[in-house]
Amino acid sequence: MRKVFDDYRALSDEMLRSNEVRVPHFLDAMKKSLDRRSNWTFWLPYVLSLDVCMKCGTCAEVCPVYISSGRKEIYHPAVRSELIRKVYRRYFTWPGRLFPGLVGAEDLTEDKLDALAESIYRCTVCRRCAYVCPLAIDNGLIVREARKIFDAIGIAPDELKEKGTRKQLEMGNATGTPTAAFLDIIEFLEEEIEDQRGYKIKIPVDKKGAEYLVMHNAGDYLAFAETVMGAAEIFHAAGVDWTLNSPDTGINDAVNYGVFFSDIEFTEVLKAQIKTIVNLGVKTLVVGECGHAFEAFKYLMLRLIPPSERPFEVKSILELIDEWIREGRIKVDPEKNPEPVTYHDSCKLGRLGGLYEEPRRILKACCKDFREMEPNREMSYCCGGGSGFAIMTKGDFLKFRMETYGKIKAEQLKATGASIVALACSNCKGQFREIINYYKLPLRFAGISELVANALVR
Amino acid sequence: MEGIGYVIGVVLPYAAVGVCLAGSLYKISFWARAPKHLHWELFPYPRTTAGKLEEMVVEVLTLRSLYTYNRRLWLPSLLMHWGIYLLALWLLVLVTGLLSAGFAGMLGTLGGILAGAGSLWLIFRRTGGDLRQLSSPVEYLNLLLIFLLSFGGLITGFLGSTAEVREYLLGILTFSPRVPTNPLFLWEILLGELFLIYLPFGRMFHFAAKYFSYHRVKWGEAD
Ligand code: SF4
Ligand code: SF4
Repeated sequence: MRKVFDDYRALSDEMLRSNEVRVPHFLDAMKKSLDRRSNWTFWLPYVLSLDVCMKCGTCAEVCPVYISSGRKEIYHPAVRSELIRKVYRRYFTWPGRLFPGLVGAEDLTEDKLDALAESIYRCTVCRRCAYVCPLAIDNGLIVREARKIFDAIGIAPDELKEKGTRKQLEMGNATGTPTAAFLDIIEFLEEEIEDQRGYKIKIPVDKKGAEYLVMHNAGDYLAFAETVMGAAEIFHAAGVDWTLNSPDTGINDAVNYGVFFSDIEFTEVLKAQIKTIVNLGVKTLVVGECGHAFEAFKYLMLRLIPPSERPFEVKSILELIDEWIREGRIKVDPEKNPEPVTYHDSCKLGRLGGLYEEPRRILKACCKDFREMEPNREMSYCCGGGSGFAIMTKGDFLKFRMETYGKIKAEQLKATGASIVALACSNCKGQFREIINYYKLPLRFAGISELVANALVR
Repeated sequence: MEGIGYVIGVVLPYAAVGVCLAGSLYKISFWARAPKHLHWELFPYPRTTAGKLEEMVVEVLTLRSLYTYNRRLWLPSLLMHWGIYLLALWLLVLVTGLLSAGFAGMLGTLGGILAGAGSLWLIFRRTGGDLRQLSSPVEYLNLLLIFLLSFGGLITGFLGSTAEVREYLLGILTFSPRVPTNPLFLWEILLGELFLIYLPFGRMFHFAAKYFSYHRVKWGEAD
């Protein structure tokens, strides 16, 4: 593919449409993004981040892409933000209109627009940089806002939109699995559990009025079935009233790729999910092992949807398992997971979600040899699967993921000496699967639910 | 010269303070009137007022983020910030007359030295490495302004001549302004006025922005 920014491409030529005139449309969309009413969802952090960066470069010192690229200027978080700020200053501020050279303002050209579009898909919005910035300026947020602007002019990765949010709204899940196939999978999983464990359990589907509706990332049914089975065994062992749901009931997929690139898509998917949950009349929505879905339901939803329109509780499956182990509702034996296990803090669950203790308490209860990966918690490095990257592979993009984020993660993993890395996020699993292959690491990944199920004492 | 002295010493101080106040109010209300955005906090963050205060004070006084993650900039930045804090204190002590004049002169001189050295050091730091790519002319101008202000204050004796400066400032404050007797002071006063006028509109206003980016964004906000 044609080179527009670096050696990789996240957006195809058909998507970029470089032969068309796009700059005026971009500027229109950017103008809207700067309006406090039309972009109320992120206006304050956005304008603060545009206006007050002191160019100290502290963000770069902790950015996984910048560090692992050998400190390439184009991957510097604040340099990337400057691409957008230059346009902002030139067209939307007085100093930039009057003295562009002095304040760092530049005209936007079609070529620069191409480069900008690609550059915002070299950051996973992991917000590690925002955590350490002395001013709490958020380069990740600027990237996300830029993605919103591009989406508004019809430029967004098709993995996230056409084959993501759009497909999810049409089919009920972003994997495009129809109900019949979904029910087949469930039956197959029940048989698998019986084969593996020697007991039969029934996985309830579409049960109305259940106490818990467990919504997984639908990709898990296809790629990480152990997590789905593990969750089923845990809910069965807890003896609670629970259910999964099929596409027949609406949306049966916890993902919401709108989190990554568009508030409009985000809201539409969220509303469809909420409608499904309300129709099922469940008491609690349990978000499966999916980081961004947790962020969406636990935080982003709160000010977007009035409480009266979401009459259900939201819990991460981690919170629930942690509670049940502590209450003694489920019993686990760490001897059943004797191998050394480490844990990777997903950005969305940790830095953005605040779930640091829950996974650790669970793993310590269920595994004999738990080891921390360094650095961890709020300083955990993004694995590189975030903000949609886990499902983006075209144009050598997988190589980008491996040679940047993946490189750091592989080193961290090796240093732990663990033979299992526990993960609680589907996108992380997608990325770690590739990292382990790419770097031929002598370990495997496992979902938390899988490890808990394996440790269950019946 | 008389006329210019009058403008700089008597008219402009009020204009500068007026612009600074109006500009600050405008900027702060621009952010304060922001609609409540979606939750976007980063964990962990301090949950109590005391905890928040503590984190803020430690950050302001020690520049802990720089110390931990960007050590190269920490010392020059710390010098400059402490210099500015001392200069603010100097101004306060001077006009209130709370402490001895000698002490005020010491504060002013020390503040000037620290701020001048820190800003100069930062200018050099910016001319090399990653920071060079990141800097537009305005970054250097900001630092240069602080340098000139502190260096000028030192060589004109403005920061040390306590009695005379006090008299002048009190004259301004009591609306009976008089042109200072030492003509060199006019340079320093002019720089100070430029600084005040520019402050709310430039990036040096980050100390106010920081309140919003921490309290409203990074640390979340009660529902
Ligand atoms: S975003 Fe923050 S850390 Fe990065 S250069 Fe700007 S002020 Fe410094
Ligand atoms: S959000 Fe993460 S990937 Fe993006 S610039 Fe910041 S540290 Fe780098």
